[in-house]
Amino acid sequence: MTADYLRFYGVAKTFGTVPVVRRTDLSIARDALVVFLGPSGCGKTTLMRMVGGLDSPTEGWIELDGGRVDRPDRRRGMVFQSYSSFPWLTVAQNIAFGMRYRDDLTAAEKQERVRHYLDLVGLTDFADSYPSRISGGMRQRVAIARTLAAGSEVLLMDEPFGALDALTRERLQVQLRSIQKREAKTVVFVTHDVEEAVFLADRIILFSARPATIVADIDVTAELGAERPLDIRETRPFFDLRNHVLHLIRHETSEAA
Amino acid sequence: MSGAMDEPLPERGKRPAQGRSKTLRTALGGLFAFRGRSSPTVEVGVSVLAAAIVLGLWEAASRAGWIAPQFLPSPSAVLGALWTMTTEQSLGYHIAVSTGRVWAAFLLAAAMAIPIGILMSSYRIVGAALEPMIDFIRYLPVPALVPLSIIWFGVGETTKIFLLWLGTFFQLVLLVADDMRRVPHEYVEVARTVGANSRQLMWDVALRSMGPTLLDNLRITLGWCWTYLIIAEIVAASSGIGYVIWQARRFVKTPEVMAGVVVIGLIGLVTDQLLRLLHRRFFRYL
Repeated sequence: MTADYLRFYGVAKTFGTVPVVRRTDLSIARDALVVFLGPSGCGKTTLMRMVGGLDSPTEGWIELDGGRVDRPDRRRGMVFQSYSSFPWLTVAQNIAFGMRYRDDLTAAEKQERVRHYLDLVGLTDFADSYPSRISGGMRQRVAIARTLAAGSEVLLMDEPFGALDALTRERLQVQLRSIQKREAKTVVFVTHDVEEAVFLADRIILFSARPATIVADIDVTAELGAERPLDIRETRPFFDLRNHVLHLIRHETSEAA
Repeated sequence: MSGAMDEPLPERGKRPAQGRSKTLRTALGGLFAFRGRSSPTVEVGVSVLAAAIVLGLWEAASRAGWIAPQFLPSPSAVLGALWTMTTEQSLGYHIAVSTGRVWAAFLLAAAMAIPIGILMSSYRIVGAALEPMIDFIRYLPVPALVPLSIIWFGVGETTKIFLLWLGTFFQLVLLVADDMRRVPHEYVEVARTVGANSRQLMWDVALRSMGPTLLDNLRITLGWCWTYLIIAEIVAASSGIGYVIWQARRFVKTPEVMAGVVVIGLIGLVTDQLLRLLHRRFFRYL
């Protein structure tokens, strides 16, 4: 892992006169799955959008692999909670959309990549289905496949499983970790769900209530290891870490109140 | 990767096999349930039956002499007038003239309103400059502008098309702007992160996303265009359904007036159904 792959240099954001993100310095390693955790509305999504180049910092700057981030590009792909796939395109066409504006791939290569990512997310049988005909969990898998097919090195995921039922959500968490490790991608995942954060993360960055300030940086891999079978949730280390993070976030929320 | 909790949704319209009588009972039951669902065939049947009941009551009321025929002629009298107008008074020609005027004005309004509405929503400078003016003109009654339009364009075709355009364009442009505004920003942002430029965002994302509501709004404003037809065709006209209705009114030929109105209604109904069909064909994914 390259330790300084994604770096935040004194990044701050203010909307009008309202500070949303306080001066943040942070370094994220290549191929890490980092979860931004914090109370709702704390500014973690704003921080992630700045990584995507969709918002600009009021102060400071962000670098990806030594290059300054100043606009959106396909190296950093977004997966949203809602409207994650285009309803007028089939599953396969949605995945192909990730490569639509790439001139460096031939049509045959694009087709091959679509097949590969359909298979990776287990949607080969639904290639010709429209998003309205598949479940919410499948739609999120389409969005992940599209981002991977685009060739994104960093996946920016804004509460992507927030609207799903508990069991689908759990299964997608397992799948996301497996895909992330297999495809060697850096993931920045925003959530306010503590259990999801502990299960998914290599590292949790815990933010305060608005304006977002880093209050804890937790190395989850050091505590739980890299392997995350579903039943890890029933183990003592998972339970303890979850309680520790919960305690921190409760403390943070009560301080803000 | 798929599993029990993450399954595709059942396809719409596909139901488990069941007996014919049970299907009919379910469809009929759906008619009376709050937000119930029925079959299209049953719904068409209900529509035809309701229309037949209204026409039957109307015919009975006229024949019984409850309403004077010069105020409300019977459906059979209207049908008779329609036959005479078609066979002896070139109603087909007048329908063609009116349809031509309505479509010319409507297409002109659409061709202008779609790009302007999109620009109004996409660029604040265009929205800020145009929206107050359009809002002002939108509330002006079209009949009040008839004298002005005659001064500007004379009494020819241009005036008629201008009046129809006037009744459509200013409404449509705001509807298009609203359609554009409702394109989810997530779609735009996803497209930007995969490298789409502004032109590609417009064609590949915004227009595709707003397509269904845009066609709906075009359908609605085409209906409004027909409602302005009478106003447009009483201005020194010598052809068109509006002219026919207006002439019949002068001689108190109420069945002919009614027949003209019915023709407009039928054209509206057929056009609307055709546009709905187009909607279903274009937007199968909905």
